[in-house]
Amino acid sequence: MWRYIMRRIFLQGIPVLLGFSFLLYLVITIAPGSPVTHLRGVPNLDSSVIEQRKAQLGLDQPFIVQYLNWLGRVLRFDLGLSFDSARRPVADLIKERMPATITLSLASIVLGWGIGIPIGILSARYQYSVFDYAITFFAFVGISIPSFFFGLIQLYVFALKLNVLPAGGFFMAGEARTLAGYVSYLLLPSLTLGLASIAGVARYMRASLLEVINQDYLRTARAKGLPERLVVYKHALRNALLPILTLLGFMIPGIFSGAVIVESIFAWPGLGSLAIQAVNERNYPVIMGIDMMFAVLIFLGSIVADISYALADPRIRYE
Amino acid sequence: MKRPLVVALFLLLSLSVIVSAADAPKQGGTFRYGITTNPRGMFNPILNTEVYDGLIIDVVYDGLIYIDASLQPQPMIAKAWDISEDGKEITFYLHQGIKFHDGVELTAKDVAYTYMTILHPDYTGVRYGQFNKLVGAKDYKEGKTDTVPGIEVIDDYTIKFSVEEAYAPLLSTFTYGILPSHLLEDIPVGELEQAPFNLHPIGSGPFKFVEFQTDQHVILEANKDYFFGAPNIDTLVFQKVAQDAIPIYLQQNRVDFIAISPEQYEQVKAMPGIDVYVYEELSYNYICFNMRQERFADAAVRQAITYGFDRQTYVDVIREGFGIVANAPVPTASWAFTTEGIDTYDYNPEKAAQLLAEAGWTKGPDGILQKDGMKLEFEFLVPEGSRQNEQMALLFQQNMEDLGIKVNLVFMEFSAAVDRVDARQFDTFTMGWSLSVDPDPHSIWHSTSLWNDPGFYNEESDALIEAGRTETDPEKRKEIYAEWQKLINKELPTMFVSYGVTIGAINQRVKGIDTNPGPLGPLVDLELLSTIWLED
Repeated sequence: MWRYIMRRIFLQGIPVLLGFSFLLYLVITIAPGSPVTHLRGVPNLDSSVIEQRKAQLGLDQPFIVQYLNWLGRVLRFDLGLSFDSARRPVADLIKERMPATITLSLASIVLGWGIGIPIGILSARYQYSVFDYAITFFAFVGISIPSFFFGLIQLYVFALKLNVLPAGGFFMAGEARTLAGYVSYLLLPSLTLGLASIAGVARYMRASLLEVINQDYLRTARAKGLPERLVVYKHALRNALLPILTLLGFMIPGIFSGAVIVESIFAWPGLGSLAIQAVNERNYPVIMGIDMMFAVLIFLGSIVADISYALADPRIRYE
Repeated sequence: MKRPLVVALFLLLSLSVIVSAADAPKQGGTFRYGITTNPRGMFNPILNTEVYDGLIIDVVYDGLIYIDASLQPQPMIAKAWDISEDGKEITFYLHQGIKFHDGVELTAKDVAYTYMTILHPDYTGVRYGQFNKLVGAKDYKEGKTDTVPGIEVIDDYTIKFSVEEAYAPLLSTFTYGILPSHLLEDIPVGELEQAPFNLHPIGSGPFKFVEFQTDQHVILEANKDYFFGAPNIDTLVFQKVAQDAIPIYLQQNRVDFIAISPEQYEQVKAMPGIDVYVYEELSYNYICFNMRQERFADAAVRQAITYGFDRQTYVDVIREGFGIVANAPVPTASWAFTTEGIDTYDYNPEKAAQLLAEAGWTKGPDGILQKDGMKLEFEFLVPEGSRQNEQMALLFQQNMEDLGIKVNLVFMEFSAAVDRVDARQFDTFTMGWSLSVDPDPHSIWHSTSLWNDPGFYNEESDALIEAGRTETDPEKRKEIYAEWQKLINKELPTMFVSYGVTIGAINQRVKGIDTNPGPLGPLVDLELLSTIWLED
């Protein structure tokens, strides 16, 4: 197992991440637009200032030099300085916002999986029942509603009309940081973000369970007199969960990228607004920092999925 | 500017402070100012470029002067100033006893440090161009000398600035917050932008910096020892708010002041306890013609297109009335605004068609106007992300089609659009300008200017712009700019579409605001935060 993990990291992961960083840097630098666009319209700007600023940011260098400089710093665990006027370290900008993004993503995963899996199981056990049809209907609605729209509806209902939850944002200055407060701020954004995954997970879980539930070995289990409860939860579920675990590995990046949109609707203090702002401003070091972090997370997510695969299925051994 | 006038204004100002004191303002409370964009954490008045960092800077620092609601300079750290007869020297007389938040006294040395740093060869900010006319500034910037003769500390409370030739906009640029030299002078200027000070600023203004929470809020507390009188409120908070949730924040009393969008106007106006103010901005949006192209080089074409575009409908319908049709590049809010001799180009398709016909344009077989092998078919570059811009583009396209002009819309992400404009690879495009307090149009309209996007090279215009810069008598300056606007209004190097307005919503518990706001709004650009008070 350890050898497998090491091989995944060193033979696959690092070359892929290197290649990705090169392509990403290439794409963001050849895209039209410039990191010094914000200087347009500065009153009485001396023309030398634009060239001077470009030189400070290293933009006067050819692409490959810029990239190698960036890579050299990253290998020394330095993500560089943001291009905006405050020139703060990219690592600080990310670090300040990570807790909020991780909280939101975790909450939506817990919601999505905690609700989605039981619903999927029930839906499969009572296939073609009214409950099953109702779940199927709501699952399609849930998958189809864009998250920004669902977010705005929730804001309208819970914050404006019922006035029971805050209208996005995070703690007001001076407000006591209680757990209840935390939950009240987290609820709407994580529901918004979790909705699509609840629906998706439930559908996958249902399909996956239905596939195994009619297998021969389950018929055997039933034949030897096991109660249906044990058949489903002990024998069928474990096998049915395998594809879902793979799904988890692939859903993690989706949840992070969905968070970018949800964060901007709810003014959630996570990486979302930073990422959007960085792209609009062509803030190369910040774009690179955030994207590389996501790339690493996605990569780790796929390793975690593989490992949990092995843990759930005794037939799978990585050597 | 003559000193007696300044003193009189100052007396008037102190009088208004006394009058409001008679109303016995309540003490204490927290004022929340809603913002939709996060500050960057560059709370340094000579290095920031973002408006939202500027808000914090405005209340933490004081400048030599400040700009009042009618856009006139007023005494601040400088209790008075003299401008020499020839307009080449400004001497500021500083108040004695002004203290930074750490208790150290502010003197002329700090003023000199602040402005010398802007001129320093290693300075990384963007303000150099505003002060490069000071005597010796260029030599110092290029590292040829160690001193700037144009900045002269006469004693602890007197400092003199001098320029090579009279430069009228200079006075209104001395608003930048004064930095504490005792905390910063040992930091090399090139490294100043990374100094921890920028995240923990210390100034001499009405509020002390307390805390900056990324994407959440900035907290400041009243400076009880503020030289010009302690603020009535205890705490000032800049609270980050989600754009779409602004009405909810107002309804729940979570923000006291915030700018709202036209779409939110009706909803917010109907809320009890909230007042809404609409005030004119120093800004306008425009459609720029690329005059380097022969078809746009003829003023008749530019005028015809302007006559042919229904700007009143654009303002009334697309902007929902929040805007004013513009005909020259000086907004209504400026002291240099004029209507005298300004053609309003009211929507008139017949006149537009007639102008084009007189200029020799005839309809080709495809129904598009043409002349000498040129066609009136062109690209219209529109930055994405603004509903108003997108709808304007459609209206423009429709109006032009009626005249036999084919407009091809190109929607493009903002930064990419700027690239095209900078490379002069456009036929026409739309954007907007926000302007400084001083009406000097040099940055945008002079032949040598960086932002002269239309390619407008006109000797008469250049001469007027230069005359306006060196004329120190405000009345004469106003006449020069009126003359210049007449010329621009006739030439129309760009079509001026509309002047902008801001809509500000403010909680009625806030007292002591400017209820008839000028371009700086009901808080007069945060200036009133040090004197407002909150009712229970």
